[in-house]
Amino acid sequence: MKTILLIEDNVDNAKIAMRSLKPHSYRLLHAPDGESGLVMAMEERPDLILLDLGLPDVEGQTLAALIRGSAEIGRVPLVAVTAWPPETAAQMARAYGCDGYISKPISPRQFPAQIAAYFAEGNDDDVE
Amino acid sequence: MMTSSESVTSVVNIGELVTASQQCKNGKGWVIYPYPDAPSVKLVSAIQFTYDELVGAYNQTRVDYIVPMPMNTARLQEYVRTYDVDLELSGVARENGHVLGLAMLGVRPGHTWVTRLGVLPVKRRRGTGQLLMECLIEQSRNLGVGYVTLDVIKHNDPALKLFLKLGFRDVRELLIVRRPPGPPTLNVGPYTVHPFDCHEAIELLHQRRSVPSWLDERESLVNAGNLAALRVELPTGAWGWLVYQETPFQLARLVLQAETGDPHRVGLALIHALHTLHPALDTKSENLPLDSPYWPTLQELGYIESFRRIEMRLDFA
Repeated sequence: MKTILLIEDNVDNAKIAMRSLKPHSYRLLHAPDGESGLVMAMEERPDLILLDLGLPDVEGQTLAALIRGSAEIGRVPLVAVTAWPPETAAQMARAYGCDGYISKPISPRQFPAQIAAYFAEGNDDDVE
Repeated sequence: MMTSSESVTSVVNIGELVTASQQCKNGKGWVIYPYPDAPSVKLVSAIQFTYDELVGAYNQTRVDYIVPMPMNTARLQEYVRTYDVDLELSGVARENGHVLGLAMLGVRPGHTWVTRLGVLPVKRRRGTGQLLMECLIEQSRNLGVGYVTLDVIKHNDPALKLFLKLGFRDVRELLIVRRPPGPPTLNVGPYTVHPFDCHEAIELLHQRRSVPSWLDERESLVNAGNLAALRVELPTGAWGWLVYQETPFQLARLVLQAETGDPHRVGLALIHALHTLHPALDTKSENLPLDSPYWPTLQELGYIESFRRIEMRLDFA
């Protein structure tokens, strides 16, 4: 079973994301801020990290840089979740070593397929 | 009596109300009842609230923003300290005990700064933002300052419209820029570099020629702390300096200045030196003027635009 870590401070957004993934046989973890997200990532070694770029304690880009710079979790697929306009989101995700981005607000219908795409072998495209 | 669904388009006598505002029962802060026929609506000094309460209210006002910039309690405390926010003069709008919105006021000699203005999404379009703004403008007028300034995120058109309506004018466009970690890959030619400590960095800021926004005024940088600086010199004798903030995970608050020679060449050497010295740190710098001669320099060394703000100003005649 694949483990997904969602780092997202907004409770409602987290609920929507977790609820839409619940029927899909993932082990789902949620961290409400950057510090707990980094700790959880190091301890749980998820198969995918979904990272909100607007966090209350540390900026998402800075956290992405920390994750990418880590010997332990630096190679975990990392996907930015953001309300930025697509062009900015794509540029920011690319610059900070993310494997792609998903635009907010997420669509509960499309979200599972967007996530599944990151587990598909050889995927290296941005997903929106 | 006014109901919560009614639109409020103008606030009467806010100046008189602020001047005659009542002290809160515990003696800290003030309370204003802006609508005589709606006593359930009031403006209360932010000093009456805990930081946890203010953070909760602030984050709720931003949930639907493209750049929500949420905060936790520690971050808000740091923000208040760094930017000289006066919670006594800042305001929270409430109705029947529920927060409608809030706005904060930074106070420095000669001018004030409105920040963190926000209204809960479901409570917008009722005049609450205008009420809060008029209150802070009046607080500023009573302080005897020359002007009020603020930064609004570009494309936040409702806020922009409100500020124009209240008499603010556009001053300039500001960039929030970032650079992910990594050593510089561009060859900028030879230079010598001399690092300076925090005290020397503060001294350098006295020599700054560029006009800072509130976020990067000298007071903000000194309050933020963890400052350092570099001086570079090119073989031609051209030289300049860079002041920056270094925290465990991030470089921030960049102030560049070429003292002699080509600003672009000097700037390239300064930024190259910075990221050669700190290759593992993420970098963010706020409120770089769009017309800064150093923006092309920063772009050449890997900086990207995150978003833009419009700096606005209201002068008191």
